[in-house]
This record gives sequence, structure tokens and C-alpha cells, in this order.
Amino acid sequence: MNEPLTSEETNTSAAPVSTNDEILNRIGHVTRALHDNLSGLGFDKILEKAASEIPDARERLNYVAKMTEQAAERVLNATDVATPLQNALSTQAADLQKRWDALLASPALKSQYDAIATDTMAFLDQTVKNTTETKDLLMEIMMAQDFQDLTGQVIKKITTLAQDLEQQLVQVLIDFSPGQISVPKKEADTGLLNGPQIDPNAVDVVASQAQVDDLLDSLGF
Amino acid sequence: MANPNTKFLVVDDFSTMRRIVRNLLKELGYTNVDEAEDGVMALSKLRGGNFEFVVSDWNMPNMDGLTMLKEIRADPTLSSLPVLMVTAEAKKENIIAAAQAGANGYVVKPFTAATLDEKLAKIFEKLEKSGA
Repeated sequence: MNEPLTSEETNTSAAPVSTNDEILNRIGHVTRALHDNLSGLGFDKILEKAASEIPDARERLNYVAKMTEQAAERVLNATDVATPLQNALSTQAADLQKRWDALLASPALKSQYDAIATDTMAFLDQTVKNTTETKDLLMEIMMAQDFQDLTGQVIKKITTLAQDLEQQLVQVLIDFSPGQISVPKKEADTGLLNGPQIDPNAVDVVASQAQVDDLLDSLGF
Repeated sequence: MANPNTKFLVVDDFSTMRRIVRNLLKELGYTNVDEAEDGVMALSKLRGGNFEFVVSDWNMPNMDGLTMLKEIRADPTLSSLPVLMVTAEAKKENIIAAAQAGANGYVVKPFTAATLDEKLAKIFEKLEKSGA
């Protein structure tokens, strides 16, 4: 059962040979025991299953990315169409208002009234068309949010998977580690590419634009 | 508001964010806007055409925004180009690093149209003061 670990022995030279032998022997024992016990208890199967679920989680996350991107595209497309529709109404209304104000300010000819009345009718017609179309676009923007339901479910599945995996790994550590173990704390990220901060209360993280501005001010920018 | 013909380059690896920034700039009256999807493409565009303002993300493939900013400051033909960072990176050391590299402003995502407007105005105001 306990095979000697010969290959590693030749590579270690820093410590006295007898200590190295002892350490390697111990590691060998623990590894073998861990392996046997894991198999006996079926942990290897559980871990295998958990590992096999990782590619599935990756697929699911890809799905979330795809769905959210599509939704963003739909909304941006709709606003691209709706904005000029609204702008046209706003400009025309302002123009007509100015012309009516001028007309009503002084005595005017019937022909002048007729001209502005025709334009006003045209404007009302345009208003009906543009608002109908904008209503459809608002509906489209609303419907583009349907991803939330779908991605929400997918994310929940992945969260559960991550929790299971974590639990199983911690259990293995607790059951088979020699003596006291502590789950090592994740080392703080020291790089500059950390992406969106999920926890605004974390150390050295700014929680708002105001804090960014304050920091820059304090630096003299 | 500065000259409405001010030529902007919006640098972000996500097309959605580029569109949002472009639309916001359009709302603010700036319609002369081009896009680049990473620092490498941005630098080649900047060196090719008379850009007057850069709005850039930080985390991008090929070349990130901070490296691009340093390259801009190191290039004599581009060194005085105003650069506004618009990024999700929200650690203090990020903001300090960007400021030290010569960023003209720092907007943290998610941001509002009002924030972008305010930061642009502030940068233009400072430029005018230093230019006058």
C-alpha cells in the first residue's frame, strides 16, 4: 500500500536527508490514505461530479453574457430609433408655438391663419404617428428585459454549484488533513485589473463617484 | 460646452458601452465621435487622425487603458491629449495610478449622463484656463 517515494528524494538537498525522508514518507502516507479513504467513501465520485459540472457552469455563464448583450443591443437599437422621433415632435411643437404666439400677438390675415392651421394639422398627424411608434419601442425596451428572468435562474444554478463544490472541498480538507487545518484566506488582489467591485465596503475600494472625486481632489487633481 | 466639432475617440472593448458613451456624447452635442476596441487600435487611430479628446475604459485585451494613457503621454505628438478614464476599476490604487499616469478625469462605472457631462465640462474648463 505505502509505496516509497524515491524520485523526489533525489531532488531535495536543502534539508538534512533524514528530515527529508521523514517528511516525504509522511506526505506519501497521507496521500495514500487520502486516496484510499476518498475512494472508499465515494468522495472521488462526488469531486469528479463537481469537476464535471464546471464546464456546464462555464456554458451557463456564456449564456448569461450572450443574453445580457442581446438585451443591451435591443434597448440601444430602440432608443436610437425613438430619439429622433421625439426630437422631431419637440422641434415642430416649439416652432408651431412660436408661430401661433406671433400670429395671435397682432391682427392677422385669414390666409396666415390657414397656413398655420394646415401645418398644425400636419403636426398633429405626425404626433400620432411618432407617439404610436415610440410606444412600440418602449414596449420593445420592456420586452428586452426578459433576459433577467432567464439569466437569474441560470446564475442561481451556478451559485448552487459553487456552494456544493466549496462544501465538498472543505469537507475533504476537514476529514483528511493531518492535525489542525484552516482554510487559507484568499490573498488580497494587488493588481490593478480587478473589474467591477461587487462589495463597495471592501478595503481600499471607492463606493461612489463622489469618493473618486474626493480622492482626486486630495491628490491635487 | 466646448466646440461641438471636438473629435472624440471612445475606447472600450464592449460595443454596448461604446454605443452608450457615443449616444451620451451626442446628447451633449458632440457628434464627431470615433471608436476603438482596445488600446492598440486606439493608439493607431490617434496617431492617424486629429483627435482632440479620448474617453477610455481601463480593462481591455491587447492593451489596457492605463498602458494606452502612458503611451499617449510618452508620445510627443499626443502627449497633451485630454484623456478621461471611464472604468469599473474602483480601487483607490487604480485612481491614484491613473492620476499619476496623467489622466484628466476618472469616472467609475456604472455612471450617469450627468457625471459624464460634469467631468467633460470640468476638463474643458481646465484646458481653456491653461490655454488662455
